[in-house]
Amino acid sequence: MIDFVQNCFDGVMLGSSYALLAIGFTLIFGVMRRLNLSYGPSIMLGAFVGTLVFLEFRAGGLAVAAATVVGAVLVGIYVERLCFWAIRQGAAVASMVSSFAIWMQLEEVVTIAFPDRTYPFPPLTRTEPMDFGPFFFKVENLIMFACAVALTLGLHLLLYRTRFGLRIRAVAENPDAARYMGINIAAVTFLAFACASAIGGIAGYLIVAQDGQITPLFGLWATFKGLIAMMLGGMGSIPGAILGGLLLGVVEAQNIWYLGTEYRDLCAYALLFVFLVFRPGGMFGHTLAERERLALRRV
Amino acid sequence: MDDHLVGVLSNIGMISFIALSAYLLLIVGEISFGQQAFFAISAYASGIATAMWGWDFWPGLAWGAAVAAAAAVLVGIPTLRIRGLYFSIATLAFAEMVRLVFEVFKYQVEIDGEMVGPDGSDGFRDIRYIFENDITAVEYMLMIYGLLAAVLCAFFLLERSRLGSIFRMIGQDPVLAQMQGIDVTAYKILALGMAGLVAGIGGGLYAHLTTFVEPKIFNVMLGVHSLAYGLIGGLGTAFGPLIGVAIDIGFLESIRAISGYRMIAFGGLVAVLLIFRPRGLLDEAAVNWIRLRLRRRHA
Repeated sequence: MIDFVQNCFDGVMLGSSYALLAIGFTLIFGVMRRLNLSYGPSIMLGAFVGTLVFLEFRAGGLAVAAATVVGAVLVGIYVERLCFWAIRQGAAVASMVSSFAIWMQLEEVVTIAFPDRTYPFPPLTRTEPMDFGPFFFKVENLIMFACAVALTLGLHLLLYRTRFGLRIRAVAENPDAARYMGINIAAVTFLAFACASAIGGIAGYLIVAQDGQITPLFGLWATFKGLIAMMLGGMGSIPGAILGGLLLGVVEAQNIWYLGTEYRDLCAYALLFVFLVFRPGGMFGHTLAERERLALRRV
Repeated sequence: MDDHLVGVLSNIGMISFIALSAYLLLIVGEISFGQQAFFAISAYASGIATAMWGWDFWPGLAWGAAVAAAAAVLVGIPTLRIRGLYFSIATLAFAEMVRLVFEVFKYQVEIDGEMVGPDGSDGFRDIRYIFENDITAVEYMLMIYGLLAAVLCAFFLLERSRLGSIFRMIGQDPVLAQMQGIDVTAYKILALGMAGLVAGIGGGLYAHLTTFVEPKIFNVMLGVHSLAYGLIGGLGTAFGPLIGVAIDIGFLESIRAISGYRMIAFGGLVAVLLIFRPRGLLDEAAVNWIRLRLRRRHA
């Protein structure tokens, strides 16, 4: 029983990193109704910029974090211009495929620029794990969890308490109506994309700092974990992204404990597959697919 | 012919099968990121048949392709009710599940004092049928192209048949097709089964050429490439995906000076083409134009 509870705690901690990744993903999907598969690789490229700053200038944690975020935002802007802005309205699938192609490109850029594959990254903290009664926690995990909560609150305030947030929600709700209200849709989606990339950069910094190293495989990992967490919660929903991330974390932690690490990813994909088949809208999402199915059945 | 050229040509031939299978799904308007799963299933199934059960090559290949087609139909039944982005992500999840299952799949028998068979992440060695039966590289290449020609003929017959028109109609407008009394989901499952069969032929050929398959070859990148071939070459004719393969493997991978930057060029090419020619180089309009020119010359 204690094992089970400890696994749940570990899962929530692990899941907070997934939730962080999923928030940025879901923000892009919520505003554009398009999926950015290059999201993970752009964070990865940002983290490599952070590593470069760390290795070249022996910079401290804050400078590395800033470099990571700036790198992720710049790459995010490149992806937005090429795969989203330039592709005509309504072609959501073309954008998805295009961002997938750019993913390959980004990964190749990193392997050419950083040929050693594994690079050090400054760790978040060197404090020993803390224990509370029979349970114990790593300090990095607690920091990550706190950051996830803080970022969510910040994003919530941005979306519901500012004029910019109002514009984002208007575009997400109905782009045509938003245009008639004089909202510059291209500008709003661009800024929302940059915001999501910045959130991704923060998430990426925390995760990579916890690992203490970065490899080009991080892009794949980040895209898949963020995607699965977002899909479980429901695409476009921020509370859904957080709950999906935590659910995925808890399931994985139990899995590692009871079945072993070989089955960790297999189980995550199986969970995604089952959710897609039986509840494509996720736990919180709108049931877009169901609505479409109903419309088809009616004709 | 020199060995390098034979190798490149054989590769082009084999990859063409998986490109054609992704193309068939593009015709019915679905994007699959998971065709590598059927390629992998057949590579293992046909390898097991010839190397472990002592079957001949052709029955082994047919068995592998049949297993892949059956798997495709089984996947299609739950997933083709969901559409668009959701279907793409479901195929991605399925393909990764297949790859991870092969990472833990162990099934070995003793043949002539040696253990033969799939050994988890170490892969499946010694699929030596073509060496034991003295089939030369050139002969095997001719076998690949013979099969490819047969599959291409089948595609051209399909394009001229009623089934082909139904597929194109579903791809253009599924709601309209439904209104004509066409069972859209059933035809999509049929298309996925046929695509699984085509990918399966390629997978069986691949396993016997390389004599060694390991799960990590069948990763997402193979799936994205196979999808991108159709999108580059064009969706107007079955020659489209072949042009895509020729550009990628024949040109980018085989010329040393650019092969280091292959992914950068290829990813960029896909992204740019999706902006300017969303249905590829040889799209329906281009094919019609060529047909018209040819007819005029004969008249």
